[in-house]
Amino acid sequence: MFRKGDIGAWVIIIVSVTVLGWMNFQRRAAGGKFPQRPVTLICPFSPGGGTDLLARKLAHEAEKQLGVPVLVSNITGGGGAIGHAAGRIAPADGHTVLMTTFELISLPVQGLAPFTYKDLDLLMLLNMDPAAVAVRSDFPANSLKEFIAKAKSGNPLSIGNSGAGAVWHLAAAMLADHADMPATHVPFNGASQAITALIGGHIDAVTVSPAELKIYVESNQVKLLGVMSAERLKSFPETPTCREQGQDLVFGTWRGLALPQGVSKETRDILMKTFKDVVESPEFETFAAQSGMNLHLLTSEDFLTMTARQAGEVAATMKQLGIVK
Amino acid sequence: MMEVISSSAALLLSPIVWLCLLAGVTAGMVVGAIPGLSATMGVALLVPFTFELEIMPAITLLLGVYCGAIYGGTIPAILFRTPGTPASAATLIDGYPMMLRGEAGRALSLSAFSALIGGVIGTLLLICLTPQISRFALSFGPAEFFALAVLGLSLITALSGDSLLKGAIATVAGLLCATVGMDPVSGYPRFLFGSVSLMEGMPFIPVLIGLFAIAEVFSINSDPPVAPSEKRMKLFELPHLSDIKRCGWTTVKSAFIGTFTGSTPGAGADIAAFLCYSAACQQAKEGDNYGNGEPKGIAAAESGKTAATSGAMIPLLSLGIPGDSVTAVLIGAFILHGIQPGPLLFQQHAPLAYAILAIMLCAHLLVFGMALSTASFVTQALKIDRRFLNTGILLLSLMGAYALRSNLVDCWVALGFGVLGVGMRRSGFPAAPFLLALILGGMAETNLRRALVLSHGSLGFVFHRPLAIGLLLLSIFFVFATIQRRRGQRKKNG
Repeated sequence: MFRKGDIGAWVIIIVSVTVLGWMNFQRRAAGGKFPQRPVTLICPFSPGGGTDLLARKLAHEAEKQLGVPVLVSNITGGGGAIGHAAGRIAPADGHTVLMTTFELISLPVQGLAPFTYKDLDLLMLLNMDPAAVAVRSDFPANSLKEFIAKAKSGNPLSIGNSGAGAVWHLAAAMLADHADMPATHVPFNGASQAITALIGGHIDAVTVSPAELKIYVESNQVKLLGVMSAERLKSFPETPTCREQGQDLVFGTWRGLALPQGVSKETRDILMKTFKDVVESPEFETFAAQSGMNLHLLTSEDFLTMTARQAGEVAATMKQLGIVK
Repeated sequence: MMEVISSSAALLLSPIVWLCLLAGVTAGMVVGAIPGLSATMGVALLVPFTFELEIMPAITLLLGVYCGAIYGGTIPAILFRTPGTPASAATLIDGYPMMLRGEAGRALSLSAFSALIGGVIGTLLLICLTPQISRFALSFGPAEFFALAVLGLSLITALSGDSLLKGAIATVAGLLCATVGMDPVSGYPRFLFGSVSLMEGMPFIPVLIGLFAIAEVFSINSDPPVAPSEKRMKLFELPHLSDIKRCGWTTVKSAFIGTFTGSTPGAGADIAAFLCYSAACQQAKEGDNYGNGEPKGIAAAESGKTAATSGAMIPLLSLGIPGDSVTAVLIGAFILHGIQPGPLLFQQHAPLAYAILAIMLCAHLLVFGMALSTASFVTQALKIDRRFLNTGILLLSLMGAYALRSNLVDCWVALGFGVLGVGMRRSGFPAAPFLLALILGGMAETNLRRALVLSHGSLGFVFHRPLAIGLLLLSIFFVFATIQRRRGQRKKNG
């Protein structure tokens, strides 16, 4: 095994093993204070989307406060199921944080994920985007009431959504159910394709988030008839809520942070404080305003209550749509 | 107007813009050349880096990556039969045989030249005809996209090589593969066998890597590629004049097809490259040798896919609608910098809009320059012993398949399709129809289902859409024309 010619290689191997071992010892000797090494933020959706953008901005800012790098890892696939599953089974030392989204509720109901929101330790809610009912600017209705009346009088209106069983499909279904109006649900690959079809005149309406519609509203291609939030939105103060127009609907998508079950209280508190400070910083607020995101901080307990309530609603709507039996 | 031009010039004259363009194009070409790192991924990963930049350098950087990556994929496609991006898969059909003949330099310089022509024509169309083209693109609804996909599938007949039957079998297998994943309308999971990894459909890039790169590594080549000719390559390899003359018309035609295809929201550079390539095959003349190193094949694919990048910018700049997945990421970058692409862009930010158009042209020119000046350097890679080269390609391919979603299943998909690819080559089944059917199958199915939902289940929807009828009739014509020509050839050959 030992040959004279190989002596250089053996020296390099032995030196590197020793150095690595010594570095590991040093790290342990530094004590058990969190964080010791880079924190990973799992994003269950691919780079370029809204969730990824939020995760990357959050990581960029949190790095400065935690003093260690925060790395975004896009573990995508299965409509978010794979990333959520990776977050659930990660080591519970706080070095892995999961960016969780609305799909945490819808996937288990559809039977596409072997876990529920109860299997995660929900840390905080970051952002909440309500659904908005939008039509082309030349559509002959200026309020939700007129829209519903139009749907009931003639052919059922076609409403585009971001995918079968996805959040905006459920929003349209809830509206149709609430208003007792007929509707044809047309699934697209993501909200942006649905909006394109709306502007191209291939469908009558969409129910997607106001952030995704912002540029088309400002260029007067699309108008909003109502938003499914409890109060009017800061970014669209003139758009009435659905509740104001007689349809008591509060529904939308959200993004939050979660940890695997069993993270110690001290670590959890450090993470919670860091991310809370980041989201409340003025710089983050400018970012949210520019990207049209509706920041909505909720503590762990309120987040859990909201999730539990929404899980019930989603299960009922999916049954009605025939997506789950 | 003078004012707009001078403020555009002021935006362009800042040195940081040119630095960003250079950095973007270089980074883009590297990203594009690595299998698995696509243009979309490269642009998306760079967006957070532009947080601190001004709007003009930021957009320049991203556009540079976009243009660079779309060309970068061609280099490994020609040299190693390993397409770096899906759009380059059409180039390798003729590019790789050319390399095997020892004409790697010729293939590379021709591809760079065709890409330049495609990019320039596409950008000129973008500058002159944006309102008209975007209106045309918007008229594409589910019915038209279905018809476009069928047209693409009908062109597969031209890609089938020797046996039409084997081509048809490969196509059907590709269509079958395209049905894996969630049902687009009812959300029912199909052919998943209890795993969620393939829920979003067969991951396209791992399949591509498997069918081409890994299959090439696994095939034991009886005749190793001819080393680049002994004649020392010039530092700056220019395209051959005879090639330019031979391919001129194909290049120009493909640029137009590519721009239109790219401008439709939903069809990107990959579909454009294949459409242009198949259209060129369809009109093959006496003496054209498609599939065995025909320069026109490279010209058509390269020109078409580069023109599609400009095409994809048309709906982005005029309506704020993304033309493909890269421009979808670009919209986010625009918004983050407080600029909203759309009808108001040319009114409110005219200098910026014109500066962006100018930068697009410069990006294509820079890609051309970089491609030519590095051609002789990258062909040196062919001198590496094939054993070491194959190991490296296999490693990079598997890493590329994994990097896409950080999912190990994708590596198995790539390896599985690698084995399938070897089998297909041994038994003479062409890989290109399989791949194209996989891309177009999902598009055809989803849009047909959508059109049926909109028409309440009646197939009569076609009769209200003249454009769709036209495309469908054209595809029927193409199928019959190919069969007729093949019959004629067989008679001639006795």
